[in-house]
Amino acid sequence: MDALFSDFADAQREGNGNKLAQTISPAHSDEKLRAIWKSCNAHSVKDVLKHHIHNSSSGKNRLPQEEVKGWVEVFFCYWKAIDDILAVQDSATNGKASHSSWTTVYESWKDLLSALHRGYLSNGFEAWTIPCLYVAGKHLRVFAIKADRERNSNASFDSAAAANFEDDFNPESEQNQKLEDCARQLNRVFNLCLSDRAPIDESRKWGIYYVINLLFKTYFKLNSATLSKNVLKALSAGKGDMPPLIAFPKSQQVTFNYYEGVLHFLEENYVEAERHLTEAWNLCHKGAMANKELILTYLIPCHLLTTHTLPSQKLLEPYPRLQRLFAPLAQCIKKGELHAFDLALQDGEDEFVKRRIYLTLERGRDIALRNLLRKVFIAGGFEEAKEEGAKPVRRSRVSIAEFAAAISLGSQETIDNDEVECLLANMIYKNLMKGYISRERGMVVLSKNGAFPGTGV
Amino acid sequence: MGPTWQPVPPPPGTSNTMAAPYPAPAYTPVQVRQTFGQPYPTTSQPSPPYAFGLYPPHSITPTASYTNPPPATMNPAPAPAQEMEPPKKKVDWPISVRHYVQRSFLPANMDPTVTREEMEAKLKETITQANIKDLMFSVDWSTMSLPQEMIREERERSRKLPQEMRQLHIPDNMSPTRPVAYSPPYANSGSKKRKSSDLSESAPWRAGNGGGRLEDRVSFTSDRGQQQQSAQEPAAPATTSAKSKFQKQLEKRQKRFDGGYKSTYRSPSPPPSTGPVVGTCQDLEKRYLRLTAPPIPSKVRPEPVLRQALEHVKRKWKSEQNYNYACDQFKSIRQDLTVQLIRNEFTVEVYEIHARIALEKGDIGEYNQCQTQLKALYQRGLKGRETEFKAYRILYFIYSANRTALNDVLADLTPAEKKDAAIKHALDVRSALALGNYHRFFRLYNDTPKMGAYLMDMFVVRERLAALCNICKAYLPSVPLRFVTEELYFESDSEAAQFILDHAGREVLVEKDDGDVIVKTREACRPFEAARAAAFGRIDIKGQI
Repeated sequence: MDALFSDFADAQREGNGNKLAQTISPAHSDEKLRAIWKSCNAHSVKDVLKHHIHNSSSGKNRLPQEEVKGWVEVFFCYWKAIDDILAVQDSATNGKASHSSWTTVYESWKDLLSALHRGYLSNGFEAWTIPCLYVAGKHLRVFAIKADRERNSNASFDSAAAANFEDDFNPESEQNQKLEDCARQLNRVFNLCLSDRAPIDESRKWGIYYVINLLFKTYFKLNSATLSKNVLKALSAGKGDMPPLIAFPKSQQVTFNYYEGVLHFLEENYVEAERHLTEAWNLCHKGAMANKELILTYLIPCHLLTTHTLPSQKLLEPYPRLQRLFAPLAQCIKKGELHAFDLALQDGEDEFVKRRIYLTLERGRDIALRNLLRKVFIAGGFEEAKEEGAKPVRRSRVSIAEFAAAISLGSQETIDNDEVECLLANMIYKNLMKGYISRERGMVVLSKNGAFPGTGV
Repeated sequence: MGPTWQPVPPPPGTSNTMAAPYPAPAYTPVQVRQTFGQPYPTTSQPSPPYAFGLYPPHSITPTASYTNPPPATMNPAPAPAQEMEPPKKKVDWPISVRHYVQRSFLPANMDPTVTREEMEAKLKETITQANIKDLMFSVDWSTMSLPQEMIREERERSRKLPQEMRQLHIPDNMSPTRPVAYSPPYANSGSKKRKSSDLSESAPWRAGNGGGRLEDRVSFTSDRGQQQQSAQEPAAPATTSAKSKFQKQLEKRQKRFDGGYKSTYRSPSPPPSTGPVVGTCQDLEKRYLRLTAPPIPSKVRPEPVLRQALEHVKRKWKSEQNYNYACDQFKSIRQDLTVQLIRNEFTVEVYEIHARIALEKGDIGEYNQCQTQLKALYQRGLKGRETEFKAYRILYFIYSANRTALNDVLADLTPAEKKDAAIKHALDVRSALALGNYHRFFRLYNDTPKMGAYLMDMFVVRERLAALCNICKAYLPSVPLRFVTEELYFESDSEAAQFILDHAGREVLVEKDDGDVIVKTREACRPFEAARAAAFGRIDIKGQI
């Protein structure tokens, strides 16, 4: 307890928010938590805390009475939460049944967050202390997930179903009860930061991207990514007097860019998506492999659609999982193997759908087709030279039948000419191929200069 | 306002007072329910104890059985309050006493300002007294004041003196746990400034409230004390918030009357049941009316009647095809199912049939409502035409271009479902459109299982436009009209010609010497492009690279 409050006093003296936040973190060693917990009992805890907090500041830095009161509440909640955390851990290690569960931990941690919330609203906590909000919010999310997992593994199906008489019965929300509650709490914190009208350098707005990132994570986990749009809307509405993203730590920048990129990605807004994801990629710490992998999961499909380029072997090298994910498809696209592409897509469907990249990758088929048609064009060879020494010109009139043969080569299924024409029309419409179809002659007349833009022929 | 009054336990003692011509301004008018936010008070009552404790935690278990008594129960559940206060000597409590105890704890009679402990103490006192005085069998327990009423009366007496100064009237929803001194109506009459006086009253430390007589402050502090006491029971505030608006109004009204009159409830008929309604209506046809009050059993049809009603509506639909009538009937059937919490295969059937009819008549709003309910019902494991409706869902998301939802649907499909004909068809449609393969899309359109065609009709126009854009850009110099007809599955050349005329104008169609009609593609490109952009509207902005 003494160590805790000497840190607290230091942080208060220095105005060091991160240090302060550490004092209410539950992520300390077991011994440390236990020491804090043991240093007082339920009876005396408030007095002890009051004493410590009161003495942690002196002179003109002395904390105002109101603030002291606020912090006593916060640490009181912290102490109770530790009590619950230790109890859960004990029952896990000893296998002893106990009344405590991650749900109780969640609830007591929620009290802590509320105490902080009140602290800002009515006890005059200063803006530099907002890292505390972040730490509290971060762990609230962790506890919520643990509580949901624990409950789902214990709960029997019947109790959930029988107890619910609401009309809009939704098993999913039943499963994520605490996490949904957590999202609501974080949203409160978001508004707490957003609505602060103090001048910018002492504003809680400096907590904004921290909270947003926590909210994004929670919404994505809840499978309701669309809710993130509301956050972005509220953010852009107050953009004018918001501290710039660039002024936040890189970790927060990367996270925010990543989620904003993915949100654009999900809306098929690939250009914007690519911009944000590239930003995240560039800022990402080079050792943060898991994060880099996540960014690439979306950046690679983006890139495939915007620039028609495939990831190189070298890029994928360090990520075996991405290699498994993308390498087969990339291979097929490169070689123009249409049928193999379909099979590879089918093969990875579950994985792709899970990552929400299936619908995007599916469109890679266009590139595979383009490459196949290009091969047909090249195989067609050159026109007979009209005069000696002239630059050879490729045969630019290709019959539909030739393309049809190429397309059915892989699958060995005959495909009717009208459908081939349809595919060709698509290529032309999407500017992947230049030329026109002559319905009368059953021919495609390709452009003499650059029949397949961007591919060198 | 009529219906809201209905389920009040008919209190003969107060029935006069209800009608008594007290100046209306003395009362906060009872609002008629305006929204369905909390659809039926009956459904909010039996909510799971852990969701929102209706009562302070320590009393959850015993009260739980009371919050959810079997509707129209003939043999009431054993009174748990008795278990809680085991009689010192073995006494065989008469049934009338049991009923009295039971009545005390009925949620409708509960008073948030009276804690459970107080009630239990009072009950004990009353019954013991009766026992000692040997009045157990002579007292008319059915007219005996409830403990909460006695407590309120006592409180009232204790603050008789300062009463006139303190016209405290805090709306319930603001402060459910605050013990409110309800002044008798006459003291209130004409006081239009109640609100502002409330404000100052609620903050006793503020200077200049009502003259600041000592008694005021004394009694007020005692109030505050109680308030704090109840505030220590964490679930208490949630109590009222979890209660339905209707119930709050009930309590409010009851308190208002109790304030001035020692009302004794003689309630021969049971108070409104808090479980689901069980209907008694036998009509086959019933007009749909949005509920603005709790359902009345005599106007709700039980399941067997609903089954007959469904058959009846089906027959009528087949013979008359009157959608307005059918929709109305289906909505009332659905409503009756909902208020009675009937969720079984029959429910599924009702929603499925309504969904189909709505689909057929292009009533997307109703269709969507049904579809949403069906999804939840299937998720509960109820059997129905799940694959058929999953296929519709996919088609619907294609129509609404809801990519996120599409991805979710894909993620939810089991391998077996993917092999189902209807679902496979819907998936093929999706993939054909994703790849711009209009050729295949229109083949699929022509061969849609079940009622999917009604859904595809909703986006076939825009897909035809998209296909024509493709064709016009890719083919030169022209294509035969017949090609368009066949490729885009128009019924006839004239239908195709009409479509082209409508969207691109007369100039693009040319009749050749041999009688064949051709479409001049170069000229048609621009108008089709514009029409396509308009047809896809907002959707088109996305997905372009």
